[in-house]
Amino acid sequence: MFVARLYVKRLLTIVRGEVLVLPSRIVVALFFLVLLGMPLISQNPYLIRVIVLTSIFAILAASWDLLSGFTGQVNFGHALFFGVGAYTTALLNIHLHIPPWGSIPLAAAAAVLAGLIVGIPCLRLKGTYLALTTMAFPIILMGIVFALPDLTGGELGISGLQRLSNSLLVNYYIYIVTMLVLCTVMWKITDSHTGVIFHAIREDELAVRASGINTTRYKLLAFCLSGFFAGIAGGLYAHYMRIAGPSTLEVSMSFSVVIWAVFGGLATIYGPITSVFVLFPLLEFVRFWPEYRTMIFAVVVLLTLLYMPEGLVPWVRDKIEKQCPRCKIRNVATRKTCRVCTALLD
Amino acid sequence: MDIIITGLITGSMLALLAISFSLIFGVARIVNIAHTAFYMVASYCIYSLSAKGGLNPVAGMLIAVGGVTILGLLAYRFLIDPIREHEAAVLIATIALAMIFQEGVMLIYTGDYRTVSPLIEGFFVVAGVKVFYQQVLTFAVVLVILALLWLLLMKTKLGLAVRSTAEDREVANLMGMNESRLAMITMGLAVALAGFTGAVIAPLAVLSPFMWMEPLIMMMAVVVLGGLGSIKGSFVAAYILGFTEALVVFLIPKGAFLKGSVALSIMILVLLLRPEGLFGISFEEER
Amino acid sequence: MKRLNVLRVVLLASLLIIVMGFPAWARTIKIGVIGPMNFVQGKGHWNGAIMAAEEINAKGGVQVGSEKMKIELVKADSNEFLNVTDATNAMERLMTQDKVDFVVGGFRTEAVLPMQDIAMDYKKIFIGCGAATKSLCDRVAENYGRYKYWFRGTPFNDHYLVRTSFSHLALAGAAIKSELKIPVKCAIVAEKATWTEGMVKAAEATIPKMGFELVGVWRPSPVATDVTAELSAIQKSGANLIFTIFSSSVGITFARQAGELKIPAFQVGINVEAQKDGFWEATKGMGNYVFTMNTYARGVEANELTRPFVDGYIKRFGEVPTYTADTYSAILHSLVPAIEAVKSLDADKLVAFMENREYLSPSGKVKLEKDAQGRPTHDLTWGPGYLTSLGVQWQDGKLVAVWPNKWKAAPTAPEVTYKGMVPIKLPPWMKK
Repeated sequence: MFVARLYVKRLLTIVRGEVLVLPSRIVVALFFLVLLGMPLISQNPYLIRVIVLTSIFAILAASWDLLSGFTGQVNFGHALFFGVGAYTTALLNIHLHIPPWGSIPLAAAAAVLAGLIVGIPCLRLKGTYLALTTMAFPIILMGIVFALPDLTGGELGISGLQRLSNSLLVNYYIYIVTMLVLCTVMWKITDSHTGVIFHAIREDELAVRASGINTTRYKLLAFCLSGFFAGIAGGLYAHYMRIAGPSTLEVSMSFSVVIWAVFGGLATIYGPITSVFVLFPLLEFVRFWPEYRTMIFAVVVLLTLLYMPEGLVPWVRDKIEKQCPRCKIRNVATRKTCRVCTALLD
Repeated sequence: MDIIITGLITGSMLALLAISFSLIFGVARIVNIAHTAFYMVASYCIYSLSAKGGLNPVAGMLIAVGGVTILGLLAYRFLIDPIREHEAAVLIATIALAMIFQEGVMLIYTGDYRTVSPLIEGFFVVAGVKVFYQQVLTFAVVLVILALLWLLLMKTKLGLAVRSTAEDREVANLMGMNESRLAMITMGLAVALAGFTGAVIAPLAVLSPFMWMEPLIMMMAVVVLGGLGSIKGSFVAAYILGFTEALVVFLIPKGAFLKGSVALSIMILVLLLRPEGLFGISFEEER
Repeated sequence: MKRLNVLRVVLLASLLIIVMGFPAWARTIKIGVIGPMNFVQGKGHWNGAIMAAEEINAKGGVQVGSEKMKIELVKADSNEFLNVTDATNAMERLMTQDKVDFVVGGFRTEAVLPMQDIAMDYKKIFIGCGAATKSLCDRVAENYGRYKYWFRGTPFNDHYLVRTSFSHLALAGAAIKSELKIPVKCAIVAEKATWTEGMVKAAEATIPKMGFELVGVWRPSPVATDVTAELSAIQKSGANLIFTIFSSSVGITFARQAGELKIPAFQVGINVEAQKDGFWEATKGMGNYVFTMNTYARGVEANELTRPFVDGYIKRFGEVPTYTADTYSAILHSLVPAIEAVKSLDADKLVAFMENREYLSPSGKVKLEKDAQGRPTHDLTWGPGYLTSLGVQWQDGKLVAVWPNKWKAAPTAPEVTYKGMVPIKLPPWMKK
């Protein structure tokens, strides 16, 4: 009893000291809480469906950012990993009867392989060449899918996949928790040694190489990690929709991912996640104007980019937080002095 | 024989699109995803003007090209120029622009397919193959435009300015060329070319709000294969890929849908061997 | 000032919430119409449904037991051509936000499969009006308890589509033999898509058995804009009959270019674009003599319900109904009589009643099938006396019906001729 109170007190101190000091961290904490607690407020299946799909696409967008935002290898063919993940888990599930617990990780492994296949040729390419080459891969795969309709179901896709769970609530929690865990892992990766190297590769690859780091290995690692997470997203998607079809490989899917990520802010994992949570429900919300839906979406994206070219989240973050000139710690914008080193904030 | 003709036509269309795309990229460093969308808008303008307005097709074409150019310049001025420094944002902005065009066209014309009547009807037989007059006309017009473009780029002062900005933006600026104005002019020129392609191809193709996606992919493949920023490269690569497509369609009738995949695979293979494309200039890392 | 802004936002938000969650004050039967509303298929869905709903509401509504309830339609744009996720979201929204009682519509199989799953989750009757894939109904047989709420409204499944096409081929081949007195050489041109795979294989096997020589198979892309290559090759092969299997824009391209090049061959088969009134304009008149399968045509009567529907549709919407407009018969002839007979909206009772009915619809008599093991599939029966669809041909700017015209499905089957048939015409440039 006493021990429990001690831990609770410790938790509260941490919360007060670390989380509540910055608006962005408060937002993240609220985000976690709201997502986890949502079923307590409303169990409307439509709402749950929108949130689950948003989470799946959030993983996808974050994985893109990991690759393209951080290492600068702009990938216009991210739908490849998504589609490989979806089709692999479908094939394994239908033909070999492997349950989703097994088929999704295997699908992620297949996507990692795809990442290598794409990454190796792209090592020699730079900038726009890389972007356009990566765009080619999902199209080629789509051609193969159509050429082997007996195996892949052609444009009908592979249907009849199992659900992850038969209860609406359990299903929801599986997806949400997976998303939160994976995104936290991705965030941790970017915060780690590897993440710093990724970021450095984007800024100045020559300097990184000059420092003695094997950039090839890290670039490939980025492709593989990105493929891994995107493959999981693809597998989750296939099992939620219970069908894996060529729509997962379409160019518009690749473009959507890029739009979400850039809209939210490159080289931040939380940026793409936020933007997916903003844009996807927006698309659903404007259903009362069915003809103008996509147009409204495009106009919103366009206008936002005009005023916030860095992305939505960095712009918002800059408005509510200031960086201390001396110790580089972030503070709430309303403060006059830094909370750590008490220097004046401009 | 069919292969040659089909290859020529496809190659010419791709050449026009690719060269104009290359221009924008070379001079203004903008990857304009909406390029083929302008092509689509021009085609639809022709359709409206000739089918509904009853205008003489040639006049219709000129008006359509003019209109699309103005549209492109406006879009550039208000939507792209302010954020030119952020390349990623520009990219997304052009994607969004393309989507807006697509939706706009869909709203006005609905998703049904439309066609435009050819300028010259009928066909003639060459070496046992039936060739439409319109195809020959298209080919001839494309060659004329390409020749004019070459003249413009090689022999005029403006062309020199465009070429030098494409090669090295900063030094050109230092040399006294107004870099941002040049970017705008190039953009206008390129969009006009894209519009012209639309005008010229419209009688041969079927119009739909989604017709911009397929040429976009092929065009990007051509540009990458030929080397970004290289006009000559785009020209050559366009015909290479055009012929590839024709070959696939003819030799593998059951696999005609694979033409996109085959062309792209060739592009990847070439890039593996030569990362800058066939004639591309290897960019120094800009610090 | 800021207070006023906040107040305004709150008012706007609450207004939006009220509007979106607005319950119907009166008791109505809510029927969701889901389809690609920006395209002709979705418009057909909606138009047919509106006609049916208005007809019924004009009579006061549906008699459900002791009360009369009006029909309320809910339009849902599935956007299925572009985005399958959108389609499933739309279906889910119909189920949970709009709380519909029944759903009609659907077109693209890849989208209808997951949409069907969602409707089955909520145990709502879903009448499919557009997807022909047989597997949609196979699911009913294999997992009756879950999928029994699915019924196919239109078209009959792809196996029957193929058989109908062969009847059309036979008609055309017979015309060629009798008028031109030459042996029939047939080419197959099918767009590269999964739904055509089975048909191509079946055609390759059957055409030789019909006494025709099979000279080649071509597979252009569904959105090909230039098929001159294929056409040259076809002409070289000496074909005089072309079995077309198109559903997308290549149908226009092929017909137009074949007409422009005056290819001496007769096009027969499935060409969805040719079913539309706009085909003549789209091919600039070059699509003359093209023959395609269709469900409705001007002036044709399959039974006494056909003309009122077709004429009423033409009067209101200015064009001949496509088969997706069979949402009309799904509501008017299938759902409503079932509800009135069972005297309730209970899905299970309705399913049990609807399974065993035989009734007339504007395109023919509807009877639901059972598979070889006697399990219900809720699929449509094909054949003389039931649903056969029509064979229509473009003759000088008019789309007229030429089949079934003294047609016998089998030597022992009854002869079928619908009212309003005209003789088939061969392209004059074939008779050289």
